[in-house]
Amino acid sequence: MISSSSGLNELYSVSQENLADWLDRIQSSAKLIAHQEVGGILLYQPVSDSRQIAWTEARPTLSSKDAFFPPTEQLFTIQREGNNLTIVESEPVGKQVLFGIRPCDAQGIKALDALYLETDPADNYYQRRREATTIIGMACREMAPSCFCTSVGGAPDDSRFMDLMLYRGDDHYFLAVITDKGASLLSSFPLKSDLLEAESAAEQIKSYIPSRLPIEIPNQEDWPASFASPYWDEMSERCISCRICAYVCPTCRCFDVRDQLYPSENGTQVFERIRCWDSCTGTAYRRIAGGHNPRPEKGQRLRNRFFCKYYYYPAQYGPVACTGCGRCIDACPVGVDITEALSYVAQRGSLSDLDRSGA
Amino acid sequence: MADNGSNPLKPDLGYIAEVKDLGAEIKLFSVKLLNGGSEQFNYYHPGQFAFLSAFGIGEAPFGIASTNERSDLLDFAIQRLGSVTTGLHEMGEGDIIGMRGPLGNCFPMDRFQGKNLIVLGGGIGGAPLRPVIHTVIDHRQDYGHFSILWAARHPSLLVFTDEYDDWGSAPDTELHLTVDQPDTKWDHNIGLITDLLERVAPSPENAITITCGPPIMIHFVNKMLVEKFGFKPEQNYVTLEARMHCGIGKCGRCNLGEKLVCVDGPVFNMEEVGQMLESYL
Repeated sequence: MISSSSGLNELYSVSQENLADWLDRIQSSAKLIAHQEVGGILLYQPVSDSRQIAWTEARPTLSSKDAFFPPTEQLFTIQREGNNLTIVESEPVGKQVLFGIRPCDAQGIKALDALYLETDPADNYYQRRREATTIIGMACREMAPSCFCTSVGGAPDDSRFMDLMLYRGDDHYFLAVITDKGASLLSSFPLKSDLLEAESAAEQIKSYIPSRLPIEIPNQEDWPASFASPYWDEMSERCISCRICAYVCPTCRCFDVRDQLYPSENGTQVFERIRCWDSCTGTAYRRIAGGHNPRPEKGQRLRNRFFCKYYYYPAQYGPVACTGCGRCIDACPVGVDITEALSYVAQRGSLSDLDRSGA
Repeated sequence: MADNGSNPLKPDLGYIAEVKDLGAEIKLFSVKLLNGGSEQFNYYHPGQFAFLSAFGIGEAPFGIASTNERSDLLDFAIQRLGSVTTGLHEMGEGDIIGMRGPLGNCFPMDRFQGKNLIVLGGGIGGAPLRPVIHTVIDHRQDYGHFSILWAARHPSLLVFTDEYDDWGSAPDTELHLTVDQPDTKWDHNIGLITDLLERVAPSPENAITITCGPPIMIHFVNKMLVEKFGFKPEQNYVTLEARMHCGIGKCGRCNLGEKLVCVDGPVFNMEEVGQMLESYL
């Protein structure tokens, strides 16, 4: 039995059956989000019974960002009766436990923290969800062809941004306690497990973890030299501005704000102010009232997406806003591949100024 | 913006104390916050902006067109262009409005003291310049020679016409008006603001320019100031417009390269604008 006094990085052995039982107990007092197959698609979804969980290490089609930053979120409700107007703050959120989070998704959460928690003013809505959430990670035992987390500081067994970390062995799971939050979940919900001899367990885990040679990632200072290149127009020719890349991305976080009106009841008009995901690859993203659009071309918009991830976001908030999950590569209907852009910028950046002017 | 633990996306409530027609589809709204509103509105500065909510439709950012020295109401000059501005135009005196702010940086008026100032406003772009004009006129001795170049496509789109006598009669102040599509009563200059600028021919000596208008106007005005009259880019200030949804650096909408118009601006000098990776045009 693990207690909250467990030291960090001790490893325990847990059976899937005991994990399932544990999750069922957690689920009775917190919202549990775990892998679930929905219409043949693997997603992070709220589950009400551990039997709904898909026990897999495959990468879900969508990231876990919506647990903190929902696609559509109510900011507040407004009630109007004549000229009397009341703004009602949205309900506080309850505790939630994310189970089976991939290292790339946890790294995405960390990247969002830099903007929403660590840059003043903190975003109230993100912050309260973040504080109410415990993250149980699961290491990947395989990498999809499009995965490149090892090129952007991540790894299939990266536990840095988890509260608890699981690794699947052959007939049991290995469990590591990473943070106090993780330890506190274990003390509230005891989990049947056995303490392992750390060194040999760590060796065993290592044998399950896939590796991949890193692709070429440009240095941050390499980016500006590529800004004015005709490359962006060429590579974006096939882009259809559908924005699926931002939808599946664990770090894309731009939003739109609008009001939603409901039919009035007894003379009281009720509407919600909501925010919803938006993406800089959309055609009207920067268009202002009156029609001026400073980013009318697809090349400019796609360039902004890549520059944001690797140049603007790190300059503004610190972390790179790409975790190498590869989802945008798989989701793009026309084959736009961020790793091609990375390779272009890296190669261009390695040219001397003289070579570049002749290129 | 001070972090006082409140929700920066939640507007303060106010009511429209006064509405005036300023021009064709342009109205001046004077807003009074309810219950004193946010204390932050006691300390706003020329160049800052605020989000106005037409509840049920949405919110949009507008430059504050008043100074808190002159008025305890907040003025916004609003042209009917999109859904929020249409919603605002349908509102009248006494109606409840939402307001968030003040947001963004401001014109460094203290650093402009002792300088000759040239203010160039185009159409509704004149709105955020009105606090600059009021500040200079109300502290006339603190600034050097003052030139106002005021332009619009058509006389009906010129804003603050009822103040021109005040502006033009302030000491050591000149007001120049131009439109490119005059009507029969028009007896001022005809042409673009750059035609007017060429005629006024300001000296860069100890001078600062402040421009707001459509991006294309900002571009050609600053090109002329630098290339024709020898101004350095850092002498030329602009306030930029961008689509935004939060005003506090979160929604991502208003980036110009790695700069955000909402928190790094909206006021920039052209030296800063020139260093941006991405064009505002």
